Amino acid sequence: MKPGVWQRLDVIARSTVPAFSVFVLLLIGLLPYSIPKLADVTPALTLMAVFYWSVNRPDLLTGLAAFMLGLIQDLLTGLPLGVSSLVFLLVQSVSANQGRFFHNKAFTVMWWGFTIVSLPAFLLQWLFSSALTGALLPFQPLVISYLITAGMFPLVAWILVRIQNGLLRNL
Amino acid sequence: MAQHGGPQQRIFSPIRTALHRFAFILLIVSCFALMLLGKADTVLIERIRGAAVDLVSPFMNLASRPAASIDDVTTRIESFASLYEENLRLREQNRELLAWQQVARNLTYENSRLRELSHYANPPSQHEVSARVIADMGGAFAHSMMISAGTRDGVLKGQAVLSDEGLIGRIADAGYQASRVLLITDINSRIPVMIENSRDRAFLSGDNTDRPLLTFLTADATVAPGDRVLTSGHGGAFPPGIPVGIVSSVSENAVRVAPLFRRHQVEYLRVVNYGLAGILKDPDALHSMPHLDQGTSGHAASLPTGVGVGPASDEPAMPEPPTFSPSPSGTPGARP
Repeated sequence: MKPGVWQRLDVIARSTVPAFSVFVLLLIGLLPYSIPKLADVTPALTLMAVFYWSVNRPDLLTGLAAFMLGLIQDLLTGLPLGVSSLVFLLVQSVSANQGRFFHNKAFTVMWWGFTIVSLPAFLLQWLFSSALTGALLPFQPLVISYLITAGMFPLVAWILVRIQNGLLRNL
Repeated sequence: MAQHGGPQQRIFSPIRTALHRFAFILLIVSCFALMLLGKADTVLIERIRGAAVDLVSPFMNLASRPAASIDDVTTRIESFASLYEENLRLREQNRELLAWQQVARNLTYENSRLRELSHYANPPSQHEVSARVIADMGGAFAHSMMISAGTRDGVLKGQAVLSDEGLIGRIADAGYQASRVLLITDINSRIPVMIENSRDRAFLSGDNTDRPLLTFLTADATVAPGDRVLTSGHGGAFPPGIPVGIVSSVSENAVRVAPLFRRHQVEYLRVVNYGLAGILKDPDALHSMPHLDQGTSGHAASLPTGVGVGPASDEPAMPEPPTFSPSPSGTPGARP
């Protein structure tokens, strides 16, 4: 039986959900929260989502999607162009290749996986941003940002699990 | 989908893997190409950044409103906690400010009299646009904000952005309806400044911490914590006299400045066009400032430049004092 037009449109719409969720998390991260000191150490919400989808649905969050999302992040936040693209692309590629390792394991294993993958991701971003601005960027906010990111991963992953089960179960 | 184990699989699988690998390498190369392109700082990149800001601004505009109301709740809780102390402090401050108001009135009057006497030519009027902060691009790597005003409202790259307290940054990318503000704490920010009392010149260089550095300070400069830092007007980007910060620490190798604004509390900003060419090298950019000639339009306040931060544009200009006190220094105890 051939799927109808609407069915196919539905499939296409659903398959953009992972990339779209990363974009929405990017915008949520940009909102002006009036919490003192938060602006210096914002968690990398997008990185969590890129990791999550690369592990669970690498077919829906491809390398190209990771590249484009990184580009959007750099354009919006005023970071040197290309840095986030590179980081997301590498995270996507590594996580997608090792994704099978996390399947059917406890959530803590994936959490550990994220803390391990995001460490070089942060360092790489710091290194390239520093090189492109021509000065060493302060290291302390980076460390705090990394810790907050690692600590917040379960919360974001919980939301993404809900999204995956709700919208992408049959895809 | 290729059939598993069929002859097609045997032929296409390696090709697909090769294509995959090729695409990956191509994307990596594109990343580095982007870095080079971004480093060249072309007009194209600027336009694209402006367009990107424009695209998300309607969403951010809506979504930042609930965030602002959360802000409201936290400020309420904060202010309840310190209501009594705050009240005492404000009374004290109000008493001081009333005395200063008297001084300012006297000086304004005296100033206008002296200008009349010396046929002083007023500098071009400044043009102000108020805008809401719709995004805060925080993080360890960049310090900037997104505001809800763009070229539609007369905002252009390089213009000064002020909070109620003083200078907060400058416009980095201007989109049609939204723009990005580079804060003075960002590592890419360099502002020519001077120390208020000693008039020593320096640069305020951001380093992505919330305490930017004073650089290129002369060896014999006298700086102490608590000194106020103002823009010096060198380079022609900003007029002299805009408050920027207060010297927070002085050590052998670094003088750090505490900016006057509190980043998490900034809600509304003013983009001020002083009509100074400054960092705008592009002559076209100067021609596209029609509001400079048209005097007072809707929200343009006709204030002379060179006086730092003028009163908010919605406030009427200070009326001429009815009586002129002969002592220009003003008596601190006097009440208007």
